[in-house]
Amino acid sequence: MTNYRMMVSTLSVMAFLALWEIAPRAGIVDARYTSQPTRVITAGFEIVRTAGFLHDVSVSLSEFAIGFALAIGIGVPLGLLLGRFPVLRYLLDPPIMAIYATPHLALLPIIVVWLGIGMQSKIAVAFVGGVIPILVNSMAGVRGVERSWVVAARSFCAGERDVFVKVILPASLPSVILGIRLGLSRAVLGVIVAEMYQSQAGVGNEIMRYGSEFRTDQLLFNVLLVSLFGVAATSAVRALEEKLWTAGK
Amino acid sequence: MDARTVVEPGSHIRVEGLTVAYEKPRGAGTFVAVSNANLDIARGTFVTIVGPSGCGKSSLLLTIAGLVQPASGCVLVNGKPVSGPGRDRAVVFQDFALMPWRTVLDNVRFGLELQRWSGEDLTARARRYVELVGLKGFEHYHPHQLSGGMRQRVGIARALAVDPEILLLDEPFGSLDAQTRDEMGQELLAIWEQNKKTALFVTHGIDEAIFLADQIVVMAKNPGRITEIITVDLPRPRTVETMDSKLFIEYRRKIRGCLAL
Repeated sequence: MTNYRMMVSTLSVMAFLALWEIAPRAGIVDARYTSQPTRVITAGFEIVRTAGFLHDVSVSLSEFAIGFALAIGIGVPLGLLLGRFPVLRYLLDPPIMAIYATPHLALLPIIVVWLGIGMQSKIAVAFVGGVIPILVNSMAGVRGVERSWVVAARSFCAGERDVFVKVILPASLPSVILGIRLGLSRAVLGVIVAEMYQSQAGVGNEIMRYGSEFRTDQLLFNVLLVSLFGVAATSAVRALEEKLWTAGK
Repeated sequence: MDARTVVEPGSHIRVEGLTVAYEKPRGAGTFVAVSNANLDIARGTFVTIVGPSGCGKSSLLLTIAGLVQPASGCVLVNGKPVSGPGRDRAVVFQDFALMPWRTVLDNVRFGLELQRWSGEDLTARARRYVELVGLKGFEHYHPHQLSGGMRQRVGIARALAVDPEILLLDEPFGSLDAQTRDEMGQELLAIWEQNKKTALFVTHGIDEAIFLADQIVVMAKNPGRITEIITVDLPRPRTVETMDSKLFIEYRRKIRGCLAL
């Protein structure tokens, strides 16, 4: 079953790559606009060998890692607290919902005004993008805790701390991880778009530069890089999530 | 020894003038679940509480558990007023209330962990109770992989594992099918016979109430109150045949009569 599914999925990818390679050769489309798998790969080999490549990748990765770590570090505890204490939730719900409803990229210009065009502004955009889904899902996780679990804990003399550690925390963990997975793609998006908007380095900066120079092969290689990173990171979180769900059901 | 320090064997649990009330939602006043209940339960007896839905039988049990605070009156256990849950009591819940992320074994450990048991291997202790309720081989299953009857076995093991003096069971077999329910009743009695802890068992099944009990507390609703306390003189150990005996049928008729009032 899984093998069959893998086969069919692989087939569609192969077909797409073949079409992409053949169409320019057959003169159906212009390779200057569409590029080709072989040209992207060749460009990739050249880019990887340049001195700037590692620097761009490390700048983007650092911006993402710091921003996303901050999003987890603040989003998870704050979400759990808001879920646990209704008063806090009533207090903070309007601003959180307002930020949730705002496309976080719309904040990009004001963030650049505040923090400049260096790494700080990218970290901030990654943070703002990531923190909201993490916070909202952590909160939902706590609110999804069944009353009967808490009552059972209390019947065994559990205090507030015990209830939190032994019931609320494990019960909301799957939801927290879900939030982290949703926040991840928004944080990646934040970093890349922020770099494309105003920056001096980074993979997004490169994408923008190659675009303005009309170098589609190099441009697409960088896009591919981002998308591979996104897929890998999301899969890792999803694997963790599935493990927790099967354990948690 | 001073006569006052002698523990009166006749009152392990004492309920005095107990009234339990809940706030109705949206400020629609209060709902009286239990009104002026008085009850004495002797150490080592099996008492069942029977009555229609809404007669406050669960509220009475949960108040004795310390999970619900009374509006007036009090509950005494060993002569001391109950102000909250305690190590001397353990509850078996109608909806099992198992932690879905924990295995059978870890669910049984749950109470031991919360009560900070030490000086003993908790997992080994939990394992013994898992075996006691007939779940050997299922230690590493999760609740969603078990049938309702098996889930409640976990609930019973969890309560017994903390070695309470009093076992409080809130319609524990209410969501099980009739056959499983009878089997569970018989097994519960078999376990209970081993050390005769004081047991309080809420049910709306008349046969179940008679089969298990030394004493039956009959309740009525509007307002929830105790209307009758019946002593059951059926010999122990009880078997399936007990339910066909003449005396059993007579108790059944009597309780039906009480409930119809």
